[in-house]
Amino acid sequence: MSENEKKNVIIDLEESERVQLGGRSELESIDTSGVMSVVNVSDRSRIWNVKVHLGDSRGSTDISKESLAAGEVDIGSKWESRYKVSVDAPIVKLSEIFDTCGDIDTEDPHWAYVSGKDNPVKITLSIKNETDGEIDNIILNKTVPPELSDIQILSTKSGHAEYDEGTKQIVWKDFLIYPHEETAIVIGATGVIDDTEPRSAGEIVLTYRGEGQQRSVLDPDLTALTEFLMGIETAETEPNQWECTLECSNESDLIVRLDKAEVFVTPEGGGEKRKMIDASPSIEMTPNQQWKASFTVASKETPKCTQDLLYTPVRVVTKRVLGTIEKAPQIIPVAKIDYIKTFDPPSVNSFDKTPVEVTIEVKNTGTAKLNEITIIDNLPGDVMPPTSEHVTVWIKGKEFSGPFEFIIDPEDQEPEKHHKVTFTVKDLKDSVGEIEPGESVKINYAVMAWRNRPEKEYPSPIACSANTHPAGIEAEMSSPQDGHKLGVIYKKRAISTKKAINKGANAGEYVVVLVVSNNGEVTAENIKMTDWIPAAFEYVSTDPEDDHPTITKVDDGTNMVWNWTRMNPGDQKKMKVTVQGEGEYERREPEVTSI
Amino acid sequence: MLSITYFGHTSFALESKGTVVLLNPGIWENKPVVPDDFSARIVIATNRKDDAIGNSAAISVNSKAWFLGNKETVEKATEQGVKPWLLHVLENEVPYEVPDVRITPYNLSRIDEEKDGRIDNLGLLIEIGGMRIGYLGDTTIRGPFELLEMDILITPIGGGATFPVKDAVSLCIDAKPRIGIPMRWTSEEQPMKFSKYLEQFGQGTEAVVMQPSQKLSVQWAAGNEFRYELN
Repeated sequence: MSENEKKNVIIDLEESERVQLGGRSELESIDTSGVMSVVNVSDRSRIWNVKVHLGDSRGSTDISKESLAAGEVDIGSKWESRYKVSVDAPIVKLSEIFDTCGDIDTEDPHWAYVSGKDNPVKITLSIKNETDGEIDNIILNKTVPPELSDIQILSTKSGHAEYDEGTKQIVWKDFLIYPHEETAIVIGATGVIDDTEPRSAGEIVLTYRGEGQQRSVLDPDLTALTEFLMGIETAETEPNQWECTLECSNESDLIVRLDKAEVFVTPEGGGEKRKMIDASPSIEMTPNQQWKASFTVASKETPKCTQDLLYTPVRVVTKRVLGTIEKAPQIIPVAKIDYIKTFDPPSVNSFDKTPVEVTIEVKNTGTAKLNEITIIDNLPGDVMPPTSEHVTVWIKGKEFSGPFEFIIDPEDQEPEKHHKVTFTVKDLKDSVGEIEPGESVKINYAVMAWRNRPEKEYPSPIACSANTHPAGIEAEMSSPQDGHKLGVIYKKRAISTKKAINKGANAGEYVVVLVVSNNGEVTAENIKMTDWIPAAFEYVSTDPEDDHPTITKVDDGTNMVWNWTRMNPGDQKKMKVTVQGEGEYERREPEVTSI
Repeated sequence: MLSITYFGHTSFALESKGTVVLLNPGIWENKPVVPDDFSARIVIATNRKDDAIGNSAAISVNSKAWFLGNKETVEKATEQGVKPWLLHVLENEVPYEVPDVRITPYNLSRIDEEKDGRIDNLGLLIEIGGMRIGYLGDTTIRGPFELLEMDILITPIGGGATFPVKDAVSLCIDAKPRIGIPMRWTSEEQPMKFSKYLEQFGQGTEAVVMQPSQKLSVQWAAGNEFRYELN
């Protein structure tokens, strides 16, 4: 009989671990159980009085007895006993890193989609063998969520992986993992989400086998009986001299081990039995193999011999661990923001200087928590920007006194220029906590509308962005380039002039009365009034003196020019100009200009 | 050294070297802002409305103080019993002087909320204690005040009959006094905004918000350093 044909009774330990991982690959539960089997591989011999001996190796199991009676196991049959095993962790560690922004390297993965954008997803699946043996029969199934497209297997350290578009499954298999080694697969995809409902990242089912491994520490042994022939032959070799031979024969087709052989002779006259054979051969007997042992004894009669033999079919122990890890899908929230921007007052009077409160509220309208917010407000010309220390910030409805940035570019208060105001608050997780869905960041600052013209438009477009931690693609919301116009209420300007030419007290003297009035609805500025004196006349004086004009000689006479920086609605200036000359005083109407 | 005391609404007393100028001791919410027995050298009401003239007549009579105002205000004071020898009509841009005090009035106007028109109101440039104080009374227009050189500008901010906050701030920006003092607010938010806007856009003008009964001491330290202290 060749080694391959030797038949041993098999004690088989097949232990299964069923593992549940949470969305972040954290261990949620592990359920380990085993089936212990005694398999009679014989083609023709039963085994009986089968006992499985476990001794002190039952520690992590729920088996209470040191020995389990398996009774009789027929040809080709098996006896089974189930048990539970307590373990802390599986023999294989599965981890998934679902990075929603694989293009940006960060210590921790990105965990939220950004609504309305192409999210460059990178999925890294790692399997580590935590044992001293090989793990084989590995099959990993990853469900790919429907919002992912452009699925690509970027790399595999081992085995073969492919994506089935029909079933939306990635199957990775045909590899084994050596002791304490780790392997990984990297998958690339593009995620596009237009709403804010949190998404499943897809579940994973991993199956594997650890041949020759066990989760319990069971060390089973077996005793049993099978077809085994034994007897003592007594033969007189000389008168009253006997040769006694113990003969054993393995009548089964199993390997049987003879552990003990004892033969006793009862003296002729009675008395205590004498042990004549005391052997521990521990011989493994192949089918039909015999074993003998002899001794001689003097006796007038045929000796009375009894034997005591201990044998058992030889067993082998086989064992393996079959594992299944089910990883629950990670739930991927979606980042989205919206904003409200208001001017108070929404419109200003033309040509006036009006403080305007600008309030911008950025609200988390998604399902992901936000760690930083940036607001870029573009102030038009004819607006004096705020100073950086005069911004008020509210986060989650409470005034915020933590660190933030408020930059005005250019850093001046010249109203003629356009200014860009940038507000940034970061690391909220370390101050007031991240912005939860529904919460907001609000800022308020004042600008000074500066003599805005009614024919001009004053758009103040805004761009808001937000990010999670770690920072990836920004969630953005912005206005059109011509959005958020500061309204300008047109206030009619009406500067009127009146003129009278009266005779003066002396000959050739005239008193020119000039009245300029702001009859409009708005303050007039830089008012310039010009009146003309004919060439034959000379300027003498003005009443009141403080309102004397600038005198300029021109070809056909003299120009008088008055300048006033400002006239409020209803304001009036009245001057009496005395001139002296000869001839008739020609009348021309005064000219007035203003802004 | 100049001491400015605020009584509420538009009522202030300016005091220097024992001379007290009382401005607009009006009646506000049916109560006189300044007691009848307040002692002043000069009492000025910038317009004829009760919230400006208030109990000026009684104070003037009790303390034998000059009563100054425009023509219609003086007429009303006469009706209220101020003796003729205590009355003086202020003319536009014609200074009124007593030792250590020079007051130059400017014609401004306030909105008459009852008749939906405008009535005359005087703005005052008061030179006292080495300071030039612009006091706008109940004005709704700025007149020449943006051109006047002032150390202190006292301006209404409450809207309605007078300047809203924005116009007061706008005037401070243009006139550039050293400090701007708001008055006649109708909500607590208004002086806060006035102060906030001046801090940002005042280009050197500081806002000093006085609460009723507070006193502001102003002086030229070492002759040329402007200092103030609010108590």
